[in-house]
Amino acid sequence: MTEEKELVERLSRGDTAAFRELVEAYKKKMYYLAFDMVGNAADAEDISQEVFLKAFRGFKTFKRGAKLSSWLYRIAYNASIDHLRHKSLIPEAAEDVVLDSGRGGFSETRSTADPALTAEIRLLRARVEKALANVSSQERTVFLLRHYNDLMLDEIAETMQISIGSVKSYLFRCIQKLRKELASPGTPSPPEVPDEGM
Amino acid sequence: MKECKKCRALLVEALYGELDSKEQDFFEKHLASCPACAAESEAMTETLKIMDERVRPERDQGFWNGYWDRLSRRMKEEEAVVEEKPRSWAKILGRSWSLRPRWALQAAAALALIAAGILIGRMIFAPRQLPVEASRPAVEAPPVQPGEGDPVLRARNYVDRSKLVLLALVNYDPTSDDPYALDLPLQKQISQQLVNQAGALKSDLKDPGQRRLRELVADLETILLQIANLEAKNDFEAVDIVKQGVESRGLLLKINLSEMGGDPSAAGRGAAVEKPPAQKTKI
Repeated sequence: MTEEKELVERLSRGDTAAFRELVEAYKKKMYYLAFDMVGNAADAEDISQEVFLKAFRGFKTFKRGAKLSSWLYRIAYNASIDHLRHKSLIPEAAEDVVLDSGRGGFSETRSTADPALTAEIRLLRARVEKALANVSSQERTVFLLRHYNDLMLDEIAETMQISIGSVKSYLFRCIQKLRKELASPGTPSPPEVPDEGM
Repeated sequence: MKECKKCRALLVEALYGELDSKEQDFFEKHLASCPACAAESEAMTETLKIMDERVRPERDQGFWNGYWDRLSRRMKEEEAVVEEKPRSWAKILGRSWSLRPRWALQAAAALALIAAGILIGRMIFAPRQLPVEASRPAVEAPPVQPGEGDPVLRARNYVDRSKLVLLALVNYDPTSDDPYALDLPLQKQISQQLVNQAGALKSDLKDPGQRRLRELVADLETILLQIANLEAKNDFEAVDIVKQGVESRGLLLKINLSEMGGDPSAAGRGAAVEKPPAQKTKI
């Protein structure tokens, strides 16, 4: 926390080196949050850069004592929503993204030499994406922020500007819906593969 | 039942490890004693495990290494654009206007309205600009000089002017209250001018088809010469003699026939006293 305070002080003075530290610390988080929101790698990079540009130019609006990460998440969330509204984009089918992984600067995070197991994993991932697509946007956003981006419930509430009770409610309902979706026939159990890190 | 409700309220936080120690104790104890809540918790945990299978396409290290460079480049590009923007005239004017006091803006708006009103008024109510030829008064037309232009047209003009002189004399009543109703000096002057033009005009009307017009000009010349030779003062007896001459020659009838395209030569035969129907004449 002390480090963050120091960083905030330097940022408030317009220290470019401090800004670079901020970017290096949060670039992946901003990128993946944007990716989860818009479902497109190129747009995700564009949005994540926009987050840092807005943060750099509008650092005066940052309230001292607030959490830097929450502030950045909120900018990223709003930028993603604006992007979706502007382009009227529906996130592209995530299974396509998954199937495209490993090409064009992407690398597969989990790989296995067993072709049968790979097919099973791919099928499971497609079912997961489909299940996520079948919940409401608010429920999905809360789940994505909590489950894949590791935001605490109070941070989600702050990012989305909703009450923490609403966050809990959305999250509970989302998990229940996902459970029903995944319980439908044809959903394989998660395979036992060694976790190589995500 | 009450504990089950409380347990379910804590379920989401429990799944993500966000319970404090007191809540965590309660939650664990309840699950140990409640198979329904334990099954619910287990099912949701399994769901989250399945959801862990979702992966996002990982970017390679080259992408992350170049991230800062791409961001810096974009910042410079956007800064350049921001510096360019205020140079536009619209921005400069807009900025300068925004600094003006409110009354200045109101005054400017009022002036603009007045100017627009004047402009519209001029466009709607200004007299139409006539073509130069149409706006020029007919009287300003240069007089036809002897020997110039169409002789027939010149003869018509001559006849018209002569007719006015004759009518002035014929319609003159010496017994009227206004003895100066006839401007004899003016009529004498005009008559003299016409007599001066007659010679050239007659010589130009050589065509056989213009014979009758030439004869009319000659008749008019005779009577106009008499008028031109009247005394300068109102010589009413002489005026009467001229009037009789006009009537005896049937000049006004000839003139009318000429205007209608008829034969002026027939007018003098037994029609000496006939007067032009359109003119009020007194004898």
